[in-house]
Amino acid sequence: MEQNRIFHRRKIMTLFFLLTAAFLFLFGRLVYLMVWRADYYSTLATQLHERERDIKAARGRILDRNGTVLADNKTVCTISVIYNQIEDPESVIQVLCDELGMSEESVRKKVEKYSAMERIKSNVDKEIGDRIREYDLPGVKVDEDYKRYYPYGELASKVLGFTGGDNQGIVGLEVKYEEVLKGEAGSILTVTDAAGIEVERMGERRLEPVPGYDLRVSLDRNIQTYATQLAYQAMETKEADSVSILVMNPQNGEIYACVNVPEFDLNQPYELPEGTQEGLSTEERQDILNNIWRNGCISDTYEPGSTFKIITAAAGLESGAVTPESTFSCPGFIVVDDRKIRCHKVGGHGSEDFVHATMNSCNPVFITVGLRMGVEQYYSYFENFGLKKKTGVDLPGEAGTIMHKMEDMGNVELATVSFGQSFQITPIQLLTTASSIVNGGRRITPHLGMEALDSEGNVVETFTYPVEEGIVSEETSATMREILEMVVSEGGGKNGQVEGYRVGGKTATSQTLPRGSGRYIASFVGFAPADDPQVIAIAIINNPQGVYYGGQVSAPIVRQLFENILPYLGIMEYNQ
Amino acid sequence: MAGKSRRRRKEQTEYFFDYSLLFIVLFLLGFGLVMIYSASSYSAVVDYDGDAGHFMKRQLLAIIIGLVMMIIVANIDYHFWERFAVLGYIVSAGAILMVLTPLGIESHKARRWFRIPGIGLQVQPAEIAKLCMILLLAVMVCKMGKGIRSMKGFLIMVCIPAPIAVMIWQITDNLSSALIVMAIAILMVFVASPDYKKFVIMALIVIAVAAIVVFYAMQTEGQGSFRLRRINAWLNPESQSQDTGFQTLQGLYAIGSGGIWGKGLGQSMQKLKFLPESQNDMIFSIICEELGLFGAIAVIVMFIMLIWRMMVIANNASDLFGAMLVVGVIGHIAVQAILNIAVVTNTIPNTGISLPFISYGGSSVMFLLVEIGLVLSVAKRIQLREM
Repeated sequence: MEQNRIFHRRKIMTLFFLLTAAFLFLFGRLVYLMVWRADYYSTLATQLHERERDIKAARGRILDRNGTVLADNKTVCTISVIYNQIEDPESVIQVLCDELGMSEESVRKKVEKYSAMERIKSNVDKEIGDRIREYDLPGVKVDEDYKRYYPYGELASKVLGFTGGDNQGIVGLEVKYEEVLKGEAGSILTVTDAAGIEVERMGERRLEPVPGYDLRVSLDRNIQTYATQLAYQAMETKEADSVSILVMNPQNGEIYACVNVPEFDLNQPYELPEGTQEGLSTEERQDILNNIWRNGCISDTYEPGSTFKIITAAAGLESGAVTPESTFSCPGFIVVDDRKIRCHKVGGHGSEDFVHATMNSCNPVFITVGLRMGVEQYYSYFENFGLKKKTGVDLPGEAGTIMHKMEDMGNVELATVSFGQSFQITPIQLLTTASSIVNGGRRITPHLGMEALDSEGNVVETFTYPVEEGIVSEETSATMREILEMVVSEGGGKNGQVEGYRVGGKTATSQTLPRGSGRYIASFVGFAPADDPQVIAIAIINNPQGVYYGGQVSAPIVRQLFENILPYLGIMEYNQ
Repeated sequence: MAGKSRRRRKEQTEYFFDYSLLFIVLFLLGFGLVMIYSASSYSAVVDYDGDAGHFMKRQLLAIIIGLVMMIIVANIDYHFWERFAVLGYIVSAGAILMVLTPLGIESHKARRWFRIPGIGLQVQPAEIAKLCMILLLAVMVCKMGKGIRSMKGFLIMVCIPAPIAVMIWQITDNLSSALIVMAIAILMVFVASPDYKKFVIMALIVIAVAAIVVFYAMQTEGQGSFRLRRINAWLNPESQSQDTGFQTLQGLYAIGSGGIWGKGLGQSMQKLKFLPESQNDMIFSIICEELGLFGAIAVIVMFIMLIWRMMVIANNASDLFGAMLVVGVIGHIAVQAILNIAVVTNTIPNTGISLPFISYGGSSVMFLLVEIGLVLSVAKRIQLREM
């Protein structure tokens, strides 16, 4: 018995140490889990416990060059329900029906749906949201949100563009400057239990949203408004399909106004025009809307017609193929290879120098200049002027130039191109190239975006745009300004004259394809003051009825525009 | 300190009462109540009509009944129970069969409990079996004397609990309790026989078999039976996070997010219905989350102290029967605590084992207190001469 006791004790001691060793091993395991793996598991656990709700960032505003707000935000509310937190579903349904004006059926369906969070209605006015909040119903959440709001409705609609349901830019500047405007969304992190019920003692953690930057654009609200009025007036009196007006600073490419009437209401961009037939498919609807939203100045190409003679003249002068004093004779037509191309004046202009040929917009003279230069030289000027590239304007959807390939160009093609036919460019391309020719030969980049500003108005970023020097010589540029001033003062652009100012310009009347359809595009490019251009504008009337000559319908628009905006822009009166 | 007081006590009275052991047990019980309240109050409010203390109150009742039973048992000479050894074996077998009768209660997809009619108390027969097995094996060791050293004696000692273990495993679908019953038997035989070699070989065999099973489970890639999937979940809890690994992973989240200092008592997030059985088998992970590494160490140290106190009593018991009874109780409590912590820390595959004295579970704590009563009764017979 005594013998037994000794080994029993030894065994019991062994047992104790074995068990203690097991405990110590587990202790080591705990140290590993709770010290080395603590961060890993607590991160996972926190992710499990927190529910995230986004807070939208306030989108940056769009301001005109003087700080007038063109695109703003207004506070709206999103009403949603959390199934697990609703205590009295009947009164919730009742209140939501009454306040939101929704049918009981649809509200009931959403309230009784078992989901983490169900959105009842978004874009609810703030007052209604506040009223619902005052009921203090458990399970009903009113989240404030921002909605884009355009104080001037239609103004510059095709330039500004609008935003979609998540406040993201869809067209126009809104999408081009998305990164500047959008800001960074924040979030509300609430701690919940496994069933999704908020744990009150834990409170909530907010990651504040970062508001987007304001965008200052070169548009001038007053010029834009006035240009829009003029465009509507012209569209109505001439029963035209559409009218576009572009106003730009030819020295630096800042766009003062970009009008394409009919415009659309930015606050209701999805509304179809009156008289649209019912029952359209989604695709058809979208096609119509895309056409409504389209910015014609940038996205549509057309045959520029006689306004393009500015370019041919500049190329001719620059290459030495012609001087202002060169004399020509116009019999009313010219034969190129086997084709007979007519002048618009059937009887011909007779003998004239190059300046008068430009004033008369004489086709045979410009064809002669083009032919003197030859295909290769003309084509290289076309390219050097930047006409084959896009202008690089900071708007989405700019169309490219449609032009013959050089190897496909014969004399006939060269002849038609010389007076602005058989190829297509965008209005902004024409205006930009004309600017480069009259501003001393600097190819500027047309643009709208000027600066990004933070909420206190400090400049965060100033946008810069490339300028290409030496498109034409200073001398050629000066000559062109003089010739174009003559066009307005004494030639075909007489209706563009503004009393007390020196205005240069060129008219155009182009027949649209197919020829003989009776559809015309009347246009006029004008700039002032002619000796030192500070503003350049183009007015394009699409399919005017009755008189359709650019000099008679488009030039007066630019004249009226200049009469008002030249004093406004502080351009001093010129004493003749 | 303990020795000194014992000597002084001996001078005054012939009885020795181990207050240290009692204190450790009471501490664990009190600590358990606090943790049960902390771990269960949130889900109790949701599930039991706003009664945050639902689980704690039921546990408190079981503890009071258990303490009364403990005091009664402690004051009865443990030799009194010797004559009931065989009867106890039959009773445990009967109790296990009771779960098949209409009195049986199914919960968590297993019939592990039966209700005692009239008082509505739920009893887990596995707990009865553990207690009865300790008693029977202690009696057997004394009866066999030196016979236990032979291979035959060893086999008899292992074969006696085997039918009960198989019944617990198969009828009540409770593998962990079956393993504990077998572990108790083997630990008692280990102490009773002077041999070491047999046990080392046995341990090696167990490790080899476990390795083969794990290897086999890996081949099945989570497609096998329930238990094989649990092994896969153990190897890679993230891969089975929606299924068998869910509880383990949630437990690890709790333990890991506790860190060194813990979140503070009552601050657990995982108890908010993320962690199933948070007041029961997984209570240790809530302790880790709220009280941190230091709380966890404190619990482990208390268990080591408890085993140490019982070891002192076993070493000084007045006869072999008393010593073997205490060894059985040591085996029961230690194996269960070790396995529970091992499961919670994902050291071994998940299986339902509660943490002695701390986890919620009425019948478990009552039978544990009866076992402590036995140990105290053994301690009372200690004579000064043998200390």
